[in-house]
Amino acid sequence: MEAYELTLWAGLAIGLAFGFAARATGFCLVSGLRGWWVTGERAKMRAFALALAVALAASQMLDLAGLVDLRRSLYAQGAFSPAVVLCGGLMFGYGMVLANGCGARALVLLAGGNLRSFVVLTCLGIAAYATLSGLVAPLRVAASSQGAIVTAPDLPAMLAALGLGEGAARLSLAIPLAGGIAFLALARAARDEAGLLAGGAAIGLLVAAGWVATGVLGADDFTPAPLASLTFVAPVGETIQYAMLATGMRPSFGVAVVAGVFAGALVTALVTGTARLEGFASPQAMLRSMAGGALMGAGGALALGCSIGQGLTGLSTLALTSFLAAGGILAGAWVALRGPLRVARQAVAEQS
Amino acid sequence: MTMPFTLTRRRLLALAGAAALCAPAAASAQGAGAWRRVPEIAALLGDLAPVEGGIALDLPFVSENGNSVPLSATVEGTDVRALHIFAPANPSPQVISFHFTALSRVAAVETRIRLNESQTVIAVAQLGDGTARIVEREVRVTVSGCLTEAGTYATDDLFRVRVRTPDQLAAGESGPVLTMIGHPMETGLRPGPDGTPLPQRLIERFEASLDGEPVFSADLYRSVAADPYIRFQIAPPAAGVLALTWREDTGHVVTAQADIAVG
Repeated sequence: MEAYELTLWAGLAIGLAFGFAARATGFCLVSGLRGWWVTGERAKMRAFALALAVALAASQMLDLAGLVDLRRSLYAQGAFSPAVVLCGGLMFGYGMVLANGCGARALVLLAGGNLRSFVVLTCLGIAAYATLSGLVAPLRVAASSQGAIVTAPDLPAMLAALGLGEGAARLSLAIPLAGGIAFLALARAARDEAGLLAGGAAIGLLVAAGWVATGVLGADDFTPAPLASLTFVAPVGETIQYAMLATGMRPSFGVAVVAGVFAGALVTALVTGTARLEGFASPQAMLRSMAGGALMGAGGALALGCSIGQGLTGLSTLALTSFLAAGGILAGAWVALRGPLRVARQAVAEQS
Repeated sequence: MTMPFTLTRRRLLALAGAAALCAPAAASAQGAGAWRRVPEIAALLGDLAPVEGGIALDLPFVSENGNSVPLSATVEGTDVRALHIFAPANPSPQVISFHFTALSRVAAVETRIRLNESQTVIAVAQLGDGTARIVEREVRVTVSGCLTEAGTYATDDLFRVRVRTPDQLAAGESGPVLTMIGHPMETGLRPGPDGTPLPQRLIERFEASLDGEPVFSADLYRSVAADPYIRFQIAPPAAGVLALTWREDTGHVVTAQADIAVG
């Protein structure tokens, strides 16, 4: 089998596993943050933190073992505009609270019959592509060109610039960071949270599996493929585009993951009997979901990724853009949950 | 709310009807026959009227990276002499010309090209019986989704040649040869950091021969993507050594060899 096809099948398998784990455990950053900041229920935040710790440790190990070069990923940019990435993160964070879940969460909910998520995903995908290559793209290009040029695109490179060896720099960052986050996640975890935490850890491993799929299985001397892993902004838009232009384009790893997540969550919803058709209670609620989706799409395109794409995948590379974007996402979500522009919890019954 | 809707709906229907009438006419005016307005193709064909069709030209409908658009083309028939690719809206329409011999008689090639903007890419095949075929394919090019421009090229890869040949071929059977050379393919049109154009530097010729016998060759122009990649079919009569030659416009020549096993 060609490297390209292998990558697609691996993407589908990774998506299936993600869809299963996320549906079964309700993996969701918005729920996690709401629990942490509003209701005091921290189990879901612990699951997300554990996913981050596992993703970080596993990805850095892959790089140390020489299997993938994380600097070839989208996140380790040598030149980027900090303002654009930060603004994108803020928009994404605010949007995901408005829409009551990020892109990946919407995909998992849609598979269970939540039609509100269909509106969110459609708006997200279209806004993402409008920002990447459509109506808003010239603005994005102009704004991004006022960039900062960094000689060290990630933390290990910055530490290595101080005279430490590359491998030593990676180790001395990955061990305390991953260990510290894992400790925070596990220290006060209750016994009945084991399932949630296992789901988080599995999702962290899937991030590393994504690097292997595109960087090892997809390695082809003659067809340089971008190194990528789980992210749900551009791939959602690309999946919509693929549905419309399949005779003239080839699906990418991201499209395979999106299809896999939907299928995995669908099977899980049917098997567990949690599938149920749901719609909007009011036009206002629909408008709110549309705005949330559009903010996530445009913001995610500017920030180079979403709560998963930058919050897990990006941070696992320790890239500077990821810290900026993830900080923006957290700040945006805080504004929407606790800040001056806070939005009410959606009145319709939630399954998240 | 209902009044404006009925009014606009009527107008919409009228517009839709008009659009439906116009669409085929517009399509034929733009699409078929675009090659007639390309002087380079007229020069190539002279008075010869090409047959439309007979080439499977594959390019993505939409490309987010005009710097590297994958192209594959397969010409029907066994006596194909040459295949030329044109991108009329590029600064120079000639992209690449492939030349086939009896040792590469399956005319199936792949490469990666540059497209300046959305346009109709044209492939012209010349056959041994003196006829020509032509096929057009529209490609839409959007700005890159990537936030950075590839301004500099990794210099450590310069002139590095990669080759992949079929493991084992039966006598007379065709198999793919993939080859690629590290090269910026500097067009001479791109401004450098100080605003003046970077000097042109191109790979302009590729040749493949089996034990001295020409197999396949290509003329490359500035619309070939950086790190030129070519895939062609070889039909070796017997085992031998495949010699590959890449020539830069400075005269610099890079060679590589690969064993071809037949049995």
